[in-house]
Order: sequence, then structure tokens, then C-alpha cells
Amino acid sequence: MLLRDGLTRLLRDNDIDVVAAVSDGDALVREVVAQRPDLAIVDIRLPPSFHDEGLRAALEARRRVSGMAVLVVSQYVEHTYAQELLADGRGGVGYLLKDRVMHVADFLEAVRRVAGGGTALDPDVVAQLFSRRREDGPLERLTPRELEVLSLMAEGRSNAGIADSLVLTVGAVEKHVQSILSKLDLPQSPTDHRRVLAVLAYLQQSED
Amino acid sequence: MEITAQIAQTLVAPATYKRLAYLLTALILGPVWFAALVAAWSVCAGLIITPFVIPAMIVLAYMTRGFAALEAGIARALLDVDAHAPAPRPPRPGFWGWFRGEFSPGFWRAQAYLLIRWFAGFPIAVAMVTALAVSLATLTAPLWVPFVHGGAQLGIWRPHTFVQSLVGVPLGLVLLPLSVLIAEALALPFEPTAASLLRPDAEPARVAVSEGKPVRRPAVRPGQALEVHAAVDAGLVAVAIVIWALTSRGYFWPVWMILPFATALAIHAWFVLLADEPSVVARFRGSRVLAASTGIGAALAAFMTLIWAITAQGYFWPVWPMLGIAIVLASELLAVLLLSPRRAELTERIETLETTRAGAVNAQDTELRRIERDLHDGAQARLVALGMSLGMAEQKLADDPERAGELLAEARIGAEHALKELRDLARGIHPPVLADRGLEAALDSLASSTPLRVVVSVHVAPRPAPAVESAAYFVAAEALANAAKHARARQVDIRIARIADLLELEVRDDGVGGANPDGTGLQGLRHRVEALDGTLSVISPRGGPTTIRAQLPCE
Repeated sequence: MLLRDGLTRLLRDNDIDVVAAVSDGDALVREVVAQRPDLAIVDIRLPPSFHDEGLRAALEARRRVSGMAVLVVSQYVEHTYAQELLADGRGGVGYLLKDRVMHVADFLEAVRRVAGGGTALDPDVVAQLFSRRREDGPLERLTPRELEVLSLMAEGRSNAGIADSLVLTVGAVEKHVQSILSKLDLPQSPTDHRRVLAVLAYLQQSED
Repeated sequence: MEITAQIAQTLVAPATYKRLAYLLTALILGPVWFAALVAAWSVCAGLIITPFVIPAMIVLAYMTRGFAALEAGIARALLDVDAHAPAPRPPRPGFWGWFRGEFSPGFWRAQAYLLIRWFAGFPIAVAMVTALAVSLATLTAPLWVPFVHGGAQLGIWRPHTFVQSLVGVPLGLVLLPLSVLIAEALALPFEPTAASLLRPDAEPARVAVSEGKPVRRPAVRPGQALEVHAAVDAGLVAVAIVIWALTSRGYFWPVWMILPFATALAIHAWFVLLADEPSVVARFRGSRVLAASTGIGAALAAFMTLIWAITAQGYFWPVWPMLGIAIVLASELLAVLLLSPRRAELTERIETLETTRAGAVNAQDTELRRIERDLHDGAQARLVALGMSLGMAEQKLADDPERAGELLAEARIGAEHALKELRDLARGIHPPVLADRGLEAALDSLASSTPLRVVVSVHVAPRPAPAVESAAYFVAAEALANAAKHARARQVDIRIARIADLLELEVRDDGVGGANPDGTGLQGLRHRVEALDGTLSVISPRGGPTTIRAQLPCE
């Protein structure tokens, strides 16, 4: 409630049109089908049971409206949920801690990225995946800087975004990305979203 | 060939000789317990119509507990079972409340155990000493026979010279390991007996391990034990009869082997029968102890009558030991009648529930205090600081916008910290992913938030009740935290499996061990598990590794 009103205000203040604000999953799916917005922002826990209705509603909305971009926000992040969201392999997926709203600029950037078909994964989810790396795994071959770049790639940032946040030139970032992809034996991907999926798939399998 | 390897393994295992030592202790302890208990019960019976019966019974209660404590120590050390002297029931108010507490079900179980040590333990010990002595004497015959003037009397075999006595060496080589194997088989039934009779009342019987000691698997399965026992007995008797037949064929001395062997075998068979046929136990008003004692008493009475019959006969002396047996059986019957199994069971159940409920309430109380403290020191304090930053920013907004901006940034960071603390706290109360996705996802998430390498294996379909799931989760979480914090472990294996109506959890690390099972963390977990009628065991020898096991019933 509090969050919904706050978010609505924040988005409107930043010239983003909020076409509907609803309180449960069924209403969300209904509105998405009726209004076809660019993006739906959903809390994972919704009435009536406050478990994961939000997640289910988001997946349902994506099933009903092909290519519907959803940004799921939550008090907690679990990589299990991230996997469920990314399972269909299509872009336009975001999964962030509610805390991130406080960094307004970053949050708006993520909102625009997801609405444009990109990916925004919370740094905590990425950290969870990274924490399971093996001591002798290939990730150990990356330099600290490359690890930083890799986690930003996993979050869904573009090369320009990575360059911004690490205070590097785009050219330097591109070099890092090349080096990472070759060290991990990952294919060059045409879109940022494909790249995210490849990186995440890599992190998933390296945990076993 | 597997059985050969098994036998060889049994012969070199220290545990085998510890069991042998256990059997031999009955040689002294059995008669002492029997004499002391018969005397004490006789005094109580004699004083029954006088007020002195009360102090006599108190002496009896303390005596029994003292004996049981010694026996429990012996069983722990030599049989590796989790045996403890039974404690009195928590006293109810008043002298009579205390007095009745002394005669808890544990008291009667201790009585039964002490009697079993005499009735079953003593003849077995005598047989073992005989078997060992004969095997050692035949084995070493060449070393000492030549020095005995006029030849040595080995039973009825009388070797005179070194060469003659050499025959004894192969015989002894067979007899000695055979005796050790018999001891192994004979000691087997004592393990469950000790574990189930010597235990505190409130603790569930399922706890089969003590701290620091893994459960040991016996080399011979209980089902096989009787067959092995009978075969070994038959073999020994056959050897004896052959020796008798090859030698003088005078006095039929093998009868002195046959008699104790047959008695021990009969008692063993009776125990197996009682274990396999609940209907037999039911005939003894459902009391396993009474059924066991009756069988042992009957075997002993037959044993002594036969001894009388094959010796001088004349005065029928077995009447006295039989009278003793009768007194003991009568007192046991009385105990069973007064404390019918149903009632005893219910009393025990109520005691268990009282203890575990108190534990659960305490654990919950401690947990609530911790949450209150965390909220007070953490999020609340942070929100106050945040409010202050905002207030100051408001003040500075007009004349020092730059400082106001800094204060606002500070406030935002404070809010982030407060959120993170609240999130961690809420996760510690009940992780949302556990409710949403079950144990596997929750443990997976737990595993990815520790620096340790964690291997999780979960097979729990269908999902257990939420309380069971969260108990299992928190056992794993605490074990994981301990492994990282205290055990300096690098890898942790978590295995959870649902087997019919039991959820079994095992967390094993590769750390340095030495965990204190009575520390607050593990104690809290134990309360949580016991409140669900489960059991928790911690095996953590110094030097590691630590294994924490929980069993939780789930319908």
C-alpha cells in the first residue's frame, strides 16, 4: 500500500505514466491484458496468502501477453525465484530488492532497461550465485576487476552501464568482457539479455 | 568368503574384547547384585507391616540407583551404548511425593537389568571363563605339560609328554577364536537390553548414541546370533565328546560343558522369541522384563535341578536358589500388577511431554528475547538516527542546502541498513522461501549465503508439516553456522530424507569437532525438535568431524 503509492509518485515525478495501480495478482493480470503497458512492477508477496502470488501473477501476465516486461520487487531475493522468472529465456525481466528504490536514478535506469526488453537482477542474487563458486573453478582465473565486470553483466547492465558504474571507458569494458567470455568459454551474444542468460547459466552449472 | 572376512574382522576388533570383558564382569557383579537385591527385598518384605519398611525401601532405591550407575558406566565403556542410571521422577510436593518419585519406571528397569546380569550374565560368564581356560590350557599345553609330574589332567585327556601335548595346539587354535566368537554373539542381546533398561525416564528410547561415539554395527546380526551361538556350542560339545571318546571314556565329563551351554542357549533363544513374538510378551501382561525374568528363572531352576540330579542327589538343595528366584519373580509380578504397562507408559509419556513442553516454552522465550534485543539495538536505533538526520536536513534546507544534501544521503544509507537488519531478523524467524518453496530451495538459499562449500541433498516428498520443515531448516542452519564459526569447517554435507513417517536430517562437517551438545544453540534446537516428538543427537569428538542428526516424525 505504502510502497504502491510511493512508487506511483516516484514514477510520475519522473515522467513515467502509471496507467494502473492494483492490489492483487488477479487484478494485475486483468489490467495487463486490458491496457498492455510497457512494464508491470509487482511485489512478490500479495494478498490473499502473502506467499508468492506476485511472482505467479507476473509469470501469468507474461504468458498471456507475449513479451510483457515485468519487474518483480521484494523484501527478500532468492536465486530460485530469479531462475523461475528467467526460465522462459525471453527478455524484459527484473528482480530487485525493494531497497533499491532508494537509489532513485539506478532504479529508474533499471525500470527503463527492463521495459526495453533488458534484464535487471539484484546484486544480492548475483552475489548468491557467486558465493557458490568452487575454489578451483574457472572463476578463479578472472582478475578482481573482471569479477566486478562479470557481476555487473549478470545484473543485466550494458557495456555503457558497466563503464558508468566502474568509472571506465566503454572500450576498456569491452576488453574486459572479451577476456571474460573467452576465459569462461562463453559465446559472444548479440543482445545484453542473451549475455545475461549465458552468464547465469554458467554460474548455475558451476555450483555443482 | 564374506563370512570369513567378517569373522577375521570380528577377531581383531577391540570392540569384541570389550564385549568379552563386559560378559566377564558379570562373574563378580551378577552374584553381588543378586545377593544384595534379594537381601534388600527380603528385609522390605519382612518389615512390611512396620514403619521401618519406608527407610528400608529408600535404602533399596538408592542402592539400585548406585548399582545401576556402575552398570551404566560399564555398559557405556564396554558395549558403546548410551546407558545412564535412571534418575528419580521430578519430585511432587511433600515427603510422599518425593518417595514415590524414587520408584520411577526407571527404578524398575534398573532392577530388571541387575537381575538379568545375574540370571543371564553369570552363567554366561562362567561358561566363558571355562571356555577360555580350556582353550588357553590346550593351546599352551606343550609349554607346561612336560613339567608336570605324572602328566597333566586336561579334563579327561592326560598328556604326559611334550609330543603328546602337541595335539593340544591345533585344538586350542580352534577353541580360542571360537570362544571369542561365542562371546561376541552372547554379548549382542545385552546391548539393546542395556540401552533400553538403563536410561532416564523422560528421554525417548530412540536416542541410541552418546556424544562422541558413533553407533557401532555389530559384526553378527541379532537374527544370526542365535544360530551362530547354537552352532558354536554344538561344535564345542562335539569336540569335547570326541576327546572324551578318544580318551578314557570313564566319567562323562562333557556334561559339565553341555549343562551351562544349554542353559545359556535356552535363555538366548527365549530372548529371541520375545523379540520376534509380541504375543508371547503379551501373555506376561505386556511386560518384557517379567517375560525375560520368567524364562531366565525357569532355565536356571532347570539348570540347578539337573546339576542336583547328575551329582549326589540326596538333599534337594536347589530349593533355596529356586525360592530366591520365586521371590524375585513375585516382586516383579507385583510391580507389573501395580504399575500396569499401560499406566507406566502413560506416566512416562506425560513426563516426556512435561519436559519437552517446558523446553519448548523456554526456547521460545529465549528466542523472543533475542528478537526484542535485536530490534531494540538494531532497526529501532537506526530509525531514530534516520529521523534525526531528516530533522537536521529539514532545518538546514534553507540556508545550507549542501549540508542538507549530505544529511539526506546519510538518512538513505541509514534506511538501507535498517532494512537489511530487519530482513536478516525476519529471515531468522521464518525464511519466506521455506514456506513458498519448501526445504530444498530454503537450504539452497542458506547454502549460498555461507562461505562454506555446502552439498545439499533433499528428498522429502510429500512435504512435511510446516513446523517439521522449519525445525529441520533451523537444525541445518544452526549446524551450518556452528560449522563456520566454531568448527573451522570447509565443507558441509546436508542430507534430508523422508522415510515413511520420519524425516531424517544429517549435517556432517569436516571441522575440528568438540561441539558442546549442552551449549545454548544446540540445546535450543533440541527443545525445538523434542517438542515435535523428535530426537536430536550430536556426535562431535575432539578433532572432528561433527555430525548432527535429527529425526522428526511427520504424518
